[in-house]
This record gives sequence, structure tokens and C-alpha cells, in this order.
Amino acid sequence: MSQREGNEVDLQSHSSASSFPHLEAKIRQTHSLAKLLTSYAEQLLQEYVQHQGDPFGLPSFSPPELPVSGLNSPAPTHSGLPTLERLQLDAAALNSLSLLLDTICRLQADLNPFASRLLRRLEDASHQSRALGNAVEVVLEALGAAPGPPEPHPILPESPGVFLIKLLGYRVCGLYQEWVSCTEGDLSQLMREGLG
Amino acid sequence: MEVYFYLRLLLKRGENKRMRNSSKFQWLSSVIFLYLVNQAHGQKRGVPHDLKCITHNLKIWDCSWEASYRINHGTTYEVCIVNSSYSCIQTEKTHFEIPALSLADHEIKISSTHVSGNSVTKFILSERNVSLVPATLQILNLTADFSTSTLYLKWNDNGSAFPHHSNVIWEIIVLYKEDMEVATVATFNTTLMGKDSVHHWNWTSDIPLECTAHHVKIRYYIDELHFFGQKEWSEWIPLRISGSPIKESYEVFPRDKVVPVGSNMMFCCVVEETVLTAQYGSEKCSLIPLDNKSVGIKINNITISPSSGTNVVFTTRSNLYGTVVFAGYPPDIPKKLNCETRDLKEIICSWNPGRPTGLVGPRDTNYILYERFSGRNVTYKRDEEHMNENHQLIFQMISGQERYNFTLKASNPLGGSEAVILVDITQRVYPHTPSKLNVKGINSTAIFLEWHLSGNFANINLFCEIEINSAYSGQELRNITVKGLETSSYHVSVDKLIPYTMYTFRVRCSSEKFWKWSKWSNEKQYLTMEGIPSKGPDIWREWSADGKSVIIYWKPLPFNEANGKILSYDVSYGLEEETQYLSEIPDPHHKAEIKLDRNDYNDYIISVVAKNSVGSSPPSKITSLEIPNEDLKMEQVVGIGNGILFHWNYDLNMTCDYVIKWCNSTRSEPCLIDWKKFPANSTGALIEYDNFQSGTRYNFFLYGCKNQKYQLLRSIVGYTEELAPNVAPNFTVEDTSADSILVKWEDIPVEDLRGFLRGYLFYFEKGEKGTSKIQGLESETRRSDVKVKNITDITQKTLRIVDLQGKTGYHLLLQAYTDGGVGPGKAMYVVTKENSEGLIIAILIPVAVAIFVGVVTSILCYRKREWIKETFYPDIPNPENSKALQFHKSVCEGSSALKTLEMNPCTPNNVEVVETRSAAPKIEEDTEIKSPVAVVPEEGSDAEPENHVVVSYCPPIIEEEIANAGGEEAGGSSQVIYIDIQSMYQPQAKPEEELENNSVGGAGYKPQMHLPVTSTVENIIVADDLEKTAGYRPQANVNAWNLDSPDSPRSIDSNSEVVSFGSPCSINSRQFLIPPKDEESPKSSNGGWSFTNFFQNKPND
Repeated sequence: MSQREGNEVDLQSHSSASSFPHLEAKIRQTHSLAKLLTSYAEQLLQEYVQHQGDPFGLPSFSPPELPVSGLNSPAPTHSGLPTLERLQLDAAALNSLSLLLDTICRLQADLNPFASRLLRRLEDASHQSRALGNAVEVVLEALGAAPGPPEPHPILPESPGVFLIKLLGYRVCGLYQEWVSCTEGDLSQLMREGLG
Repeated sequence: MEVYFYLRLLLKRGENKRMRNSSKFQWLSSVIFLYLVNQAHGQKRGVPHDLKCITHNLKIWDCSWEASYRINHGTTYEVCIVNSSYSCIQTEKTHFEIPALSLADHEIKISSTHVSGNSVTKFILSERNVSLVPATLQILNLTADFSTSTLYLKWNDNGSAFPHHSNVIWEIIVLYKEDMEVATVATFNTTLMGKDSVHHWNWTSDIPLECTAHHVKIRYYIDELHFFGQKEWSEWIPLRISGSPIKESYEVFPRDKVVPVGSNMMFCCVVEETVLTAQYGSEKCSLIPLDNKSVGIKINNITISPSSGTNVVFTTRSNLYGTVVFAGYPPDIPKKLNCETRDLKEIICSWNPGRPTGLVGPRDTNYILYERFSGRNVTYKRDEEHMNENHQLIFQMISGQERYNFTLKASNPLGGSEAVILVDITQRVYPHTPSKLNVKGINSTAIFLEWHLSGNFANINLFCEIEINSAYSGQELRNITVKGLETSSYHVSVDKLIPYTMYTFRVRCSSEKFWKWSKWSNEKQYLTMEGIPSKGPDIWREWSADGKSVIIYWKPLPFNEANGKILSYDVSYGLEEETQYLSEIPDPHHKAEIKLDRNDYNDYIISVVAKNSVGSSPPSKITSLEIPNEDLKMEQVVGIGNGILFHWNYDLNMTCDYVIKWCNSTRSEPCLIDWKKFPANSTGALIEYDNFQSGTRYNFFLYGCKNQKYQLLRSIVGYTEELAPNVAPNFTVEDTSADSILVKWEDIPVEDLRGFLRGYLFYFEKGEKGTSKIQGLESETRRSDVKVKNITDITQKTLRIVDLQGKTGYHLLLQAYTDGGVGPGKAMYVVTKENSEGLIIAILIPVAVAIFVGVVTSILCYRKREWIKETFYPDIPNPENSKALQFHKSVCEGSSALKTLEMNPCTPNNVEVVETRSAAPKIEEDTEIKSPVAVVPEEGSDAEPENHVVVSYCPPIIEEEIANAGGEEAGGSSQVIYIDIQSMYQPQAKPEEELENNSVGGAGYKPQMHLPVTSTVENIIVADDLEKTAGYRPQANVNAWNLDSPDSPRSIDSNSEVVSFGSPCSINSRQFLIPPKDEESPKSSNGGWSFTNFFQNKPND
């Protein structure tokens, strides 16, 4: 028996018979949201690099991953964790990302005040990240799992240079894409385990 | 001592030379040499030597000397200035300080006391022996601004230490990189002012200060004019740069710098790793090594950056470092700065920022509006959504202040600019748009207009414009001045309006001292009240044709006179003593019939009154009878396109008015389309009428009015515009002779004439029928052979055309024309009669020629009769030439000659002659004599493609006598009809169409000669037989033959038979075998009389 199999969630055991369809619907809805946001996150990153100038928009552009205090990419071991634990990490990261995206939106408003579409996407992404994190938390609560401890607020360097701001934005948009995609995968896994 | 002075001299000279930039090497060599000489001399003597004095401030001299170590140890010195008030100085050191001495030479005596003994050394010292070496500076500050890569140096010149004003030369050197390359050397002059002064110097580095280490040193030189000693540079004073770059987080410099477009910049990356590539935007750059940890790139002529700046990226093996540069422009001077108020509460200053700076966000231009009198200012808050429009700032007005002096200051990281405007705000009022426009009626011609205008205009007057619009009177603008109010409600009365009229009102305002109009308010519609009709209707009357009634006409009142909706009309009439009313006539009707008898000669006064809901109009009156006018002529007039202009002479007797009425001339009585009245003093009028039609004849009648009675003054026929006649004149040929034609035509109806007839054009042209070129060609392009007669006498109705050719076809064309153009033409084709004299000549000449030929032949034959007899009929025939003796041979050979001797009885044979249709006329036309037996099909018998004719004949016998006898027999049974030539050419004075019809119908003359002559059968048989024999073969190409008789007359009928001249003949016959080709042969002769008859009667001549 693999580790993944050993971590399967029995949805029926976590909910009453009456609330099971509701839970199922909620999981499906959250999964759909995550799936939708995955595509949005990709569009956001494309939009972002278009407004930062070269070499951000070049295909060969691949900066080293800038460390963001309080938030990392999903760990390679993430997939090996129990499903609920993974969802807890997802929810915490998405909530942190909401704050980060909000900050990036403000910074970009100074740099690209006329890039209304980018600013709108960043603002939307902040709200959507929070919405998805909350939705995952609701699922976790329905499954009887307490949300994970709140992540420390991500810290950005004080008065970073403009180039660093651009890199941070690039990194945050990348993290948003990674975590939304990860959440979508985890919810998909949850659906396979519990509903299948 | 001499050496010393020499040394000093050299030193001074060397110094001067150096100051003059002379060779250093030469100077140093001299100093070293003299120093060594002096040193050797001093040691030799063992006493103080080499006394040197320097001064740092020109007040104290610091002197020292050299002494050998052996002598110096434990030695005390007494230094005395001989003949001086200064006391001697006791010292154990080898230097002393003394106040600056005068310029003269002073003897310095140094007494040295030591164990080995005492000695005294004397020196001569003067100011010239003293060197001025500036003291060390007091450096106040050397700071680096890394954001601008600028060094700021501040120091004290210690000027208070010097008694005089002196020039100072400062020299500052900046070194950079590890190998201490010179970055810059700066030299500048100042003046010591006798007190301490602080000096500043700054320098901006081409490369960021963080990129590599920088070192700064300074020295100076005091050029004291009153000091005659040696003046020297101070020592280099190294300076320490305070402040340090933030290198913890940033590796690429400069950081986020804002630079003007076109700048040249150096960027560097300070990292431990090896930098592999560098990139400015999308441009790869070559690396410039600065030191072992720093590399740089140089960018020249930087272009404007995008809003997020241009990225500068350095790449190492494992990392990526970057910075951003913002290239833009300093703010333009604000353009079109304008300050105005809309409500006298706040001032709106607007301006155009000018050229975009290319900088946004925190780097965007900051605007501050400063008011100088009040000292208040407001700051511009950027509205990103309206960046492309004019910027504006709102400044709250200050109570009691009318004049404002505004300064608009613009600044961004690259610089600043400003614009100034001084305004009297009461003259810069641009009111808001009036709103809540409302209308209240006062009476039929006046209203109240109310509106709302926000603002406090209590201190000024408002100047408002009211636009009044109506469909009838169009647009009208009225300007009014109203006292400004603190409240915002305004109302004014508007009068002189037209009753019962829908008006549209709107308002705009400005200050009395005009600056700008406000925008127009919304429109408000209002229908004014009704009023009494101001005038009676325009009336006219017409008698009926029988004179038993008069019809009174009136026109609807114009809108401005009706003053309301006209409901009905009251019509009355009567003599002076009595008046009779007709019933009330409702509005849509504008005429009424009154039964009166013109023959009564009672002049009734007819009156018409228009009524609306408010009241009745004044009556309009007209008398029933006119003043007779015996002297009346019919005139003609042509209009000017859209109307007709009339003129008349001024007549004092005409006291009322003039009336012009008109009608279509083709209409029946009573004739009235419309009328128009003109004042009594007028002398002309232009009648314009929408329904006037070009080419239509109108009758106009001009009436004058005397004592309320009208008199017909002129009767005029006219057109607004003449057109060409639309029909052709109908003409006929009345008479035709051999050389003339008489034509007659009829008038064109008036409605078809479409203008005043000016004449006729008569064209005639000689030519064949159907070949006319007259029609279809414009007169200008008609050929020269077309003759034309212009008949300008329009009363003329006939025309005789003379000098024509006899028996010749002519095309005729007659056109009528007006000033509007030439109308269509009617064409006709006529053939003139034949000229009889020519016919006689045509007969006599051939007869005379024939007689002449016969006489000549007879004479010749008579004179040569012996020779002829000998040749053709010898008394003794030559057997060799006898054909009778060749009989047997001929029998054996079966020649045809033998057949001539055969005495076969004439056995009638039946021969079926099969002829094709094309062959039929061959016989028919050739002979002109038609056999009743050999019936040749005519054109009408197309149903049978072939004709089978059974002909009885005898085989041809080629013996003249037999043939002649046969001919006579045939002639005996023939029936010949001779046609009178005159009868063939009866005048055919009919139109072409008619001619064609007649020729087909066959009722009249037929040029074809259908002559049933049986004698032609023989010819037919002969021809037919010959075709079967091997003799004659007719040529196929008949077209190639010239069949013409040059002067043969031609028939106008294409079906007429013709006889061909020049047709090929059979060897056995002189009869023409090949007939003319067809009826279209252009030169075919009429068969009535041709020479062919002579030949036919003599077939074997």
C-alpha cells in the first residue's frame, strides 16, 4: 500500500448522511474554482511580464527564485503529505498570497499606473486567492480538520529597488500560479479519494 | 652665505619657472647640486649652516639650520638679530621663530656654546630668503551622495591668518579604482578676504560612486603680492569620504536613477561572482572591468523609458542582478495657463502640461499652484484617468480679493518650470450652464422666462442671450443684462412674440465684462396665446364665362397675420346701401361663388373676413367690375428660369395696388392659377411660382387699382423657360416638277410648341432612298451637300425648292425652332420628274451613230465588193475549202457539222425545264419579254423552291434563214406590249413610307415589265439547249461584270426590271445571257426603252 493510499479520506465518515451531498458539492465547487483560477493565474503572469520590460517578457527569462519571507513554493514532498494536511498548507499559502498580491498591486500602480488591465488582474487575483483559501478552509472544517496555523505575514524588503519590486512581483505571481495549481490538484485528489 | 643666496636665487628662479610650467627636471638637478656643495662646506667648518626660514601666515618666520651631529649634541644656541630691538633667543634646538621682519637684510648671529668650544655664525636674512608655504587646511566636510554619484567638499580657507587679500589657487584631485587612476583634476581660484571663508566644491562622477573606491586630495597656493619671498604649494591633503553606500542588498548601481533622455550613463555590478553578460533593456552590452569585483557597462544617448523604467540586468553563472533606470524629460513650462471662475466661489486654473515627461508614478511631474497675494497654495492631485487632458487645480476664492497672482510650479526629478498668470477674477467668469428653464405666458405676444444659474454673482451683472426659435420667424437672439444674484433664480420677460406660435427658447449667460459664454441651457418649447387676425385675407374675383356669377377667391392668411387657427371666413357683397351675407365658410375652403350678372353693370363690393377663436380680421374688399381698357395689346415675355420678371411704368393714378394674375393658356375660362399683389408705388415684380413649368405657355394679366377698382393694364403671354418644340411640323409636297418641289406645312399646336416659334429649318439632300443623312445629325455636323433653308417668317407656310435635278430623289426634312431649341423634324423622300429633253437626246444619239456606222459599212462593202466576192463567194470555189466535199469524212466522224445537213423532221419534244429560284430572273430580266408558257416564279411563290415548266421546242437549227424564219413565226405568235415611257415616271410625290407601301401594293405604277411575249420562248430554248451542249458556259462570277449603262435612268422602285449592258454573250447569240444580278443592282436600267430591244430583235445579227 502506497503512502497516498494510506492517506485517503473517507468523506462519508467525516460528514453526516444529510450533509454529504452538500460537502460533495462544496468540494466540487472549490475544485472548479481552483481550476478556473489556475488559468487566471497563468494569464496574470503573462500580463505581468508584458509590463515589466525586457528581459521579463523574453522566453529565456528565468531569474532565480527570489525568497519571499513566509512563503515558499510547494515543497517537493507536498504530494506525499496526507490530503488534509496538504489542503491546510494550500489554504495558508493562498491567504498569504492574497496579501502579497495586494502589495504587488500597489507597487505596480506606481510603476505602471496606466496598465489598468494588469492592475485589475492583480486586484482580482488577491481577492480570488483569499476566496479560494477560505473555500478550502470551509472544506477542511466540513471534513473535521482544523485549518492550519496562520502563516506569518509575508515580509517584503523595505524600500526595495524597482528591479527587486519587479522580481518580487514576478515571484509572487509565480507562487500564486503554483499554489493555485497545487490546490486544484489536491482537491482533485480529495475528490478521487472521497467521492470516487 | 654666498652659496645660500645662490641657492635661494636658484630656488626662486626654479620656482618661477615651475610656476611658468618650466622643466622640473632642470630645477631639481640644480638644487641637489648646490645642496651637496653647501653641505660639504658646513661640515668642513663645523658650525651652524643652511639657515632656512619659512612662513605659513606671513606673520611668523620659522627658521632652522643645520648642524653636525657631533657639534649639535649638548649645544646651546643664542640667536640674535643684530641691530634689532628683538632680544636674543636662547635655545637648544636648531630652529627658532621670529616675527616677520622687514624687507631689508637682517644679520642673524647664532652663537653656539658646546663643550668643545664656542662659535659664532652670522647669516644675512631677508624676506626674500623666506618661503611661504600654506598651512594645512581645515576640511569641514567631504560627503558623497551616492544617489547622484556626487562628492561634496566643504573647507575653511583660513583667510583670517593672512593680513592681506591674496589670490589662492586650489587644486583638487579625485582618484578612483584600485590603481588610483585620476578621475578628475579640478583647479579654481579664490581670494582670501582677511577672514575665514568656507568654500564648496562638488563633482559628479561618471560612474556610480559605489562602483569603485574614490580618493580625494587637495592643496593650495597663496599668491601674496606683498610677499617677496618664495611662494610654494601646500602639501597634498588627503580627504576621507564620509558616508557609505548601501551595499547589502544592491549589487547594481546606480539604483532606480531618473535621468534626462539623451544622457550617457555608466552602470556597474559589484559582486563576488564573475559577471557573464549585461543587458540594457533588450540590448546586450559589452562589459567594462572596473576592478576585480566590479564591472560596468556604458550606455550612450539613453532613450525615453517605458513607464516601468528600463531594466539593466547583469547575469552571473548562478544569479541575476539588476537595476532600473527611468529616462525622461524635465517638465515643460505649463502652457495655456488659464484661471477662471464659474460661480465666483472658486477659481479653476487649467493648463496644458506640454511635452510628456515619460515619467509616471512617483516620478511624475508635481504641480503646485501658488497665489502670491494671499500666500496660499494648492497641490495638484494626479488624476490618472485624465492624463491626456488639460490639468486643472481649484483654488478657493478669498473674500474681498478680486486680483490673483498665480504661479504654477512644475517639478519632477529632472527639473522644474513655472508659469505665472495675473487675473482679475471678475473678468474671468465662465458661468455654469443655466438649468431649469421654464416659460410662463403673459399674453399673446409676451412670456416670462425663468432659469437657474448656480453661483454667487451678487457683485457683478450678468449678460445673457436668449435664443428664440420658431418655424415661422426662424432664429432670433436677444441680449439682456440682469443683475447678478446671490440666489440662483433669474427671470426675464420676453415680448414681441407672434401669437399662436410654437417657440423654442434657450439661454446662455456670461458676465457683463465678457469672458466666455456659458453653454446653452436645455431648450424649452412654448406655444404663445392666440390673437385677433391682424389683416384680412388676400382676395381676388373672377367672373364666370357666362357672366352670371362671380367667384371670389382668397388666400389663407399667413401665419403671422392669422394669429391663431382660422376657423372660418365671412363673405359678404353688396352695393353701397345694402350688404348681403353669404353663409359662414369653414376654413379649408378658400373661394365662394356669388350669383351676380355682369350685364347689370352693378358694381358690387365683395368683402371677406377671417375669424379665429379670439376675433375677426379686418375685411378685405374688392369690386365686382373692372375699369375697361380699350388699348390693350398682347405682349410676350420669357422668364428667367424660376420666374418671370415684369416691369411697368409708375402711374400716379394707381392708388391701391397692382395685381398680377396668371393661368395656363391652355386652360378654359375662368382662367386663374394664382395672383399676387404689389404696392401701388412698385414698378416691377418677379413672379415666382413653384408650379411653373418650363415649356408651358402662361397668360399673365397685370391689373392696376384705381379707387378700389381694378383695370386690366396688360395682357402678357409668356414662358418661364422656352423649350424646343416637341413635335415636328406636318408638311406635304404639293407639287413636283423636273427641277422644283413645292412643300406646304401646318402650324404646330401651342402646347407642343413649348416656346415662341422663331422659324423653320428646311433641309433637302439629293440621294437614294434610305440613304439620307439628314436626320440624326445635328445641324452643325450635317454634310455640306445637305442644303438648308432657314425660314424666319413664321407666317410662311409653303416653300418652293428650285434648281433641282430631274428624275432625282431628294430627302426633305422640316424642323421648327424656338429660342429653346430646334424641335424634331419630319422627313420625306421625293423624286423629281424626268427631263424630256434629255430623253430625246438619249434616243437620237445612238440612232445617229447606228446610221453612220451602217453608211460607212455600206460604202466600204461597195468599194471592196470584188475582194469580198473573191474571198467569200468566188465564182470557182476551192474544193479544199468546200465543206460539201468533206461529207463522208464528217459522216464517219459524226461531227456536229454533219447534223446541219440532216433533214430530220421537226419532231416536237417535251422538255422539262427545271429551274431553281435563282435562275428564274435570269431569263426574265434578260429578255424583258415574258413567255406565257414559260412561267417564271416571282418572289411571292416561295413555297415552291423549284418550278417545273414544260416547254415545247424544236431542236436548234443553226442556219440563219431557218432561225430567222423561226423568229418570224415566233414573232407572229408573240404579244408585245409597248409601254409609254411617260407613264412609267408619273410624279411620285409621296412620303417614303407611302412610296414603299404603294410599290408593294401594286396599285399604281409598276416599273416591272411583265410582258407576255411568246417569241422569247425561242431564246429560252436556245439558251437552255446551249447549256446542255458543250458550247457556251456562262461565267460564274457575274458580279465582276460591268453591267452598267453609264447614263441609264434608274427607277425608284427596286423591283423594276432592268436590262444589263455588257453582259457576256453566247457564241451563237448576241442575246445577253447573264442578267443583272438582282434588284439591288445600283445601275440597273429601266426596261421601258433600252437598246436591248434592238439586240433582241436581231439575235443573229
